[in-house]
Amino acid sequence: MELLQEIFSLYAQRSDWFLELLASHMALALSAIAMSGTLGLLLGVLISELPRLAPPVMGVCNVLYTVPAISLLGILIPFTGIGDKTAVIALTIYGVMPMVRNTYVGLTSLDPDILEAARGMGSTRVQLLLRVKLPMAAGVILAGLRNTVVMTISVAGIASFVGAGGLGVAIYRGITIYNPAMTAAGSVLIALLAFLCDLALGALERYFKKRGSP
Amino acid sequence: MAEPIIRFEGVSKSFGEQVVLRDLSLDVAPGEFLTIIGRSGCGKTTALRLVNGLLSPDAGRVLVQGKDVAQTDPVALRRGIGYAIQSVGLFPHLTVEKNIAYVPSISGLEGWKGKERREKAEALLRRVGLEPELAGRYPRSLSGGQRQRVGIARALAAGPEILLMDEPFGAVDEITRGQLQDELLCLHQASGITVLFVTHDIGEALKLGTRTLVLEAGEVQQYAPPSEILSGPATPFVEELVCRSRQFQARA
Repeated sequence: MELLQEIFSLYAQRSDWFLELLASHMALALSAIAMSGTLGLLLGVLISELPRLAPPVMGVCNVLYTVPAISLLGILIPFTGIGDKTAVIALTIYGVMPMVRNTYVGLTSLDPDILEAARGMGSTRVQLLLRVKLPMAAGVILAGLRNTVVMTISVAGIASFVGAGGLGVAIYRGITIYNPAMTAAGSVLIALLAFLCDLALGALERYFKKRGSP
Repeated sequence: MAEPIIRFEGVSKSFGEQVVLRDLSLDVAPGEFLTIIGRSGCGKTTALRLVNGLLSPDAGRVLVQGKDVAQTDPVALRRGIGYAIQSVGLFPHLTVEKNIAYVPSISGLEGWKGKERREKAEALLRRVGLEPELAGRYPRSLSGGQRQRVGIARALAAGPEILLMDEPFGAVDEITRGQLQDELLCLHQASGITVLFVTHDIGEALKLGTRTLVLEAGEVQQYAPPSEILSGPATPFVEELVCRSRQFQARA
């Protein structure tokens, strides 16, 4: 209880600082999500249209996904230096995997009869993709995005180890000056942010899954 | 016979080792209602898919309106041919109205926007015996028979001269099937559209067809009007097929 009190008094005393960290955390996560989301979607579409490319692309994504986030940050420092840029690159690499996987699975597990009907009625390849396949796979793709978003928000907490901003700054400072309340205060905000995004995207996902199922 | 709208010229098709069609030659006159009957795997669906270029023949040619399917742009060809399959394949993410308007929409046809689209979709729904109010519903809220009807409305939307139907009534109950058959007959008589209709039900084939093609193991057993098939079966296979149907009729 004492810790909880300390956390709230910290929020009250240093609200400006925490708001600033929250904003930079969201900016960091959002830029990474925008990039990994786009990249993942495009790669997923590519490998579903050209199945020959699927095993190598999925393989590379899987390997990158298994590299611990903190070592990925460390590996990138010699190439991209320290700061927000390195953090965004690492978070993007990390977030691509769920997007690629879900886009690929979503696009390749559609009802073949519906695709046969769409082809038989004279859809071009692009029309088939944009008007039939992607809308029908939207629920599964959104599930991947949700995964990416939650993971990126939480992993962005360690971005401060390479000098980036965000709520990780509070966590890291709390550790170095031995102030557990400050570490907890940063963590709680990250968890809350991730939780709210998860709820919102979950609702969206259910809507699209219902819409895309017969 | 008038200039055939569909012509098969010595068409053969195999999948791997299995020969599905063997040297099939066939003329279909405009306005004909051709029913194609045979056992599963006899090549009837393959014959249908050769017409809209979903498959291409190993040997021979398929001509639609005098043009070799292999030489035509498959997208343009398919947009001019209605296509209805057993599983219907309605798009779950689109309303009935948008499902019906799919071919006009992908073809960029004029007059299929907003209010006009609604009116045309409702008119098509009436033509296939459905309430126009269904236009705003999603396919998942329709019954099996309603889906089949929407599938036919969708196949008719762009005003095709040819309609390909692959066991379209296979998945509905007996009573609904009878109704759908009667409605399709009226539709055919009213529009003069050429229909190729695949079925494994001899009763259905004889009831609907102006001509019936009996296929067995990729070869034509008989190609004649239903009355001729009933009165003079050309091979033992056809004999057996219609015998069963006569027995069935006698009992009823």
